[in-house]
Amino acid sequence: MPPKGKAAQKPKGSEASASSASAPTQQQQQQQQQQQQQKQTSSSSTSSPATTTVLERSHQRYDESRGPYEAAAAAVRSQKAGGGLGLSALSREEQIGWISSLLARSASARARANLGSKAQRELWRHVNEASLPVRCIKKTTSPEQQWGTDHAGQDVGRYSVGRFADRSEKRITLTTLEVASRRFLEARDQADKKLRDPLTGEEAVLTDREFQEEKDRRREMASLRKELYGGVSEGQLQFALDPEWDDVEPILQDEPENALAAISYPAEYDEAISYLRAVMLKKEYSPRCLRLTERIIEMNPAHYTVWLYRASNVFALGLSILDEIEWLNGVALKNLKNYQIWHHRHLLVDNYYPTIASSPVLVVKFTDSEREFLTEILAEDTKNYHVWSYRSYLVDKLGSWDSPDELASIERMINDDVRNNSAWSHRFFLVFSNPAHSSCAEKKLGATDFDPKVPATIVDREVQYAMDKVYEAPQNQSPWNYLRGVLAKGGRKLGSIEKFVGEFVSALGEEEKEDVKSTHALDLLAEIWAEKGEREKADLGLRRLAEKWDRIRVGYWEWRRSCLNEGVAAVVAAS
Amino acid sequence: MAAASSSATPASPSFNSNRSNESGDSNNDDDGFVDEEIITHGADTGFPSFMIPDVFTQGPPVRDALVTDTSRLQDKTVDTCLPYLSADHGDPSAYNMHGVRSLDREKHVRFLHGSLGRLSGRFVAADASRPWYLYWSLAGLAMLGEDVSGYREAVVKTARGMQNDEGGFGGGGRQLSHLATTYAVVLALALVGGEDAYEVVDRKAMWKWLCSLKQADGGFQVCVGGEEDIRGAYCASVVITLLNLPLDLTPESPAHSGGLSDLFAGLADWVRRCQTFEGGISGQPMAEAHGAYAFCALGCLALLDDPRRIIPRSLDVPRLISWLSARQYAPEGGFSGRTNKLVDGCYSHWVGGCFPLIEACLSTPAADARTSSNDDRKPAVADAAAAAGTKPQLLSPAPETLFSREGLIRYILCCCQDDTKRGGLRDKPGKFSDAYHTCYVLSGLSSAQHLWTLGPSSTSDDAAAPSWSVSPLYLDEDEATFNQEDRVRPIHPVYAIPQETASAMREYFLAKEGFF
Repeated sequence: MPPKGKAAQKPKGSEASASSASAPTQQQQQQQQQQQQQKQTSSSSTSSPATTTVLERSHQRYDESRGPYEAAAAAVRSQKAGGGLGLSALSREEQIGWISSLLARSASARARANLGSKAQRELWRHVNEASLPVRCIKKTTSPEQQWGTDHAGQDVGRYSVGRFADRSEKRITLTTLEVASRRFLEARDQADKKLRDPLTGEEAVLTDREFQEEKDRRREMASLRKELYGGVSEGQLQFALDPEWDDVEPILQDEPENALAAISYPAEYDEAISYLRAVMLKKEYSPRCLRLTERIIEMNPAHYTVWLYRASNVFALGLSILDEIEWLNGVALKNLKNYQIWHHRHLLVDNYYPTIASSPVLVVKFTDSEREFLTEILAEDTKNYHVWSYRSYLVDKLGSWDSPDELASIERMINDDVRNNSAWSHRFFLVFSNPAHSSCAEKKLGATDFDPKVPATIVDREVQYAMDKVYEAPQNQSPWNYLRGVLAKGGRKLGSIEKFVGEFVSALGEEEKEDVKSTHALDLLAEIWAEKGEREKADLGLRRLAEKWDRIRVGYWEWRRSCLNEGVAAVVAAS
Repeated sequence: MAAASSSATPASPSFNSNRSNESGDSNNDDDGFVDEEIITHGADTGFPSFMIPDVFTQGPPVRDALVTDTSRLQDKTVDTCLPYLSADHGDPSAYNMHGVRSLDREKHVRFLHGSLGRLSGRFVAADASRPWYLYWSLAGLAMLGEDVSGYREAVVKTARGMQNDEGGFGGGGRQLSHLATTYAVVLALALVGGEDAYEVVDRKAMWKWLCSLKQADGGFQVCVGGEEDIRGAYCASVVITLLNLPLDLTPESPAHSGGLSDLFAGLADWVRRCQTFEGGISGQPMAEAHGAYAFCALGCLALLDDPRRIIPRSLDVPRLISWLSARQYAPEGGFSGRTNKLVDGCYSHWVGGCFPLIEACLSTPAADARTSSNDDRKPAVADAAAAAGTKPQLLSPAPETLFSREGLIRYILCCCQDDTKRGGLRDKPGKFSDAYHTCYVLSGLSSAQHLWTLGPSSTSDDAAAPSWSVSPLYLDEDEATFNQEDRVRPIHPVYAIPQETASAMREYFLAKEGFF
């Protein structure tokens, strides 16, 4: 019995036949379908059918057609067995039927009989009139194999008659589509060669509509092939189905056997990457390549090779950088942790800036639109390293050091979360790398070196800013690090802020009363005291950090204590 | 209320009790009372008492009232980690008397073997970083004591498919060569060892390719047309020294326009420019200090010259140490990657791996480190000495350890092990393990369990092979909080693979004349 369940498991079949109605040759299709339906209904009305398999039907037909010479065969058998009259016992009609069916089934028998043309005509007329079987199924030991198996390994002979008819119909449809597809290829070839119609003299052209029809056709073909023969579905084969990519021979992955950490690519990724390899090898730069990179980036934004190739396409095609940035914004928001996106943007700006450098208006416009986007993405991920790195690059590139908006934007972020160290870092960069009032551009100074070019007013302002922020949360290390950085750049002694720092430590060493509001303050105080030569106080501060206030860093505090001794030893040695 | 002793030293641990206050000075005059507390504690919960210093079982002593996104996340992380650190998560028998879990060697080994096998379609995002899976897995297995030479043939085959004719290795077949993936492939080849593996590398093409990446300002691009960052500086130095490549530049190298004479010229100065006002190191000049880049900077410098000489000459070491040290948090015990960011197991290597280099460079001065006369920077001056107008003084020799090895080990063994049947190590509880974290958490464990020292400074130019030697720490059962069988193998502090595998590769290429 045909496995109904399996047939029922194929919902795609119904989809495919539904979609075939929308194929280009709609009328024909519909006619075919009607005929098919008629056939199905008629066959199911005669024999008992829904449950009949192809194999059963074959046997049924065989048995039905055996009637005319069953008697003759029985007579022959009985004569061979040594009894009975044999063929002579049959009527003349029966004898003719038997001989005709023998001859009709075997060409070699016809040759041996050496029939004249008249006799041949007679033979075929008789065969027709009596509906004699001209072929008959050999009764093999394993009848299951007669019809072969389908891609799922299922015996086609066990298909229900309806399903078999459906399958045959689909094969016909597929062949029809293949013919149409070949016709398209010929037409395209003619259009490519600009051939003229010999009759009309018109140049061959391929319309967009034909192009689109071919695309649809291939999708339908792929769907039919999948249904009939298995394999990947049409959604996974975007490029192979696209006539635009016909000229590219994809380069399949050439992975050695047992390669380590090999990834089982999803079919659509596998296909796209195979086309990428091919176009990269050709060094093709074209709009379709750009679309190809977009598709791969969607699936794997960490693929650095495809990003660099995309950039080459953008530049080679002279595409609008602003459009590319617009597209990139969406990708960046979808892939917050991605790295390559920001290098791509960097390359775009490197390329774009020279085209606007001479127009301050355009530079400001671009600076503002970039800041707007950076603000948006940093709102999603406030400490994103790559975004911040790009931001400092951008300030340097566009020279927006003195932009009050940039500073204000950073201040807003620090106000939102005073512990956002990335924002603090950017502020330090904005203030102390500004070539107008720092030596940073000369690249000689270390980050913690005194920079004589920084005006005292700026140092004062930044010291005050950091102090104000320390008050909000004294144990927040960001403004403390900032404060140290500012003093170093300003060439000021740490001791210049001793009074402020002292506010966060009280009664040091007095067991019950000792209070530390900030370990960073105590750390700094110890250094200030060491700076002033007050070794014992410094030692006490470090000891209290090690013993109580910041015990996880005990090794570090102990090392600092040993440095104090070294310092004294050095002083002693020098004197 | 009387409290258990709360000294942070492993020798005199206090007991796991959130009741003790934070003071180390509080009177502890009634030992019997303390004992009672312990018993009560054990009886209350039905769990045995563990010896866990309270620095790992309670929040930090100084806290601000102000709540922001950063503090919310930090508090949440502490809350997540505390049960693991207090031996209060899962089966109590999984912890030793110090409240430390044992290393699930077998599961981690299985996990890493799995990472070398066929990866499912979900790994498509790793398609450009497959060489990393080779390095992470093989290095991790080596640290766990596995013999990885059985992977030789497979590594050779895999690596060949990733090499480009133009030199270097890409993330996969027909991908652009990239310094990060090249680094990973070269280390994977060194890990499996043997002539077959070494000979995979087309050194001449590699050299040409590296010359094309060397920039006029001294740094390296990571790939042609790619970003210039400190990963490039470190990876290039590793590849050049392991393969014994010539330092000469090809005529086409972009470095010529900066007046540079060889592959290493200007590199230390470029690295110097990555130090930030915080003392840490950023990925490229003008960015934020980040743990991973600190390791790259120190690793790169340590290959350019004797680390005792070049590190103090290039960087403000006191500020760097301060910043590195501030990366370790309590109670977590692990390292964070940046100021005000969360602990993550991978920084056990990126930050933890800086300490062997720093400690070695502080403890035994190089022959001429104190007289870096041709350098006008005075980076490492003890302030008192400077104030007194004395001759610039180098850093004091480091004590045995600048960071809390115990804290790191606790974080790794208690918080970073995946406790399901999956195995592998992770960022923090609640995160999935992966090959990256498994490798770098184990590297951190390895550096916490061993002490690296540098031999006497050599006067030869062969600074790339300073005589590093290693000795195990915590051999005394009483000092160790971890079980002795949970010691992993040491890895070279710069090459991040077992020392003998790095030496073998280097020696193989040192013995070669020219490229063939």
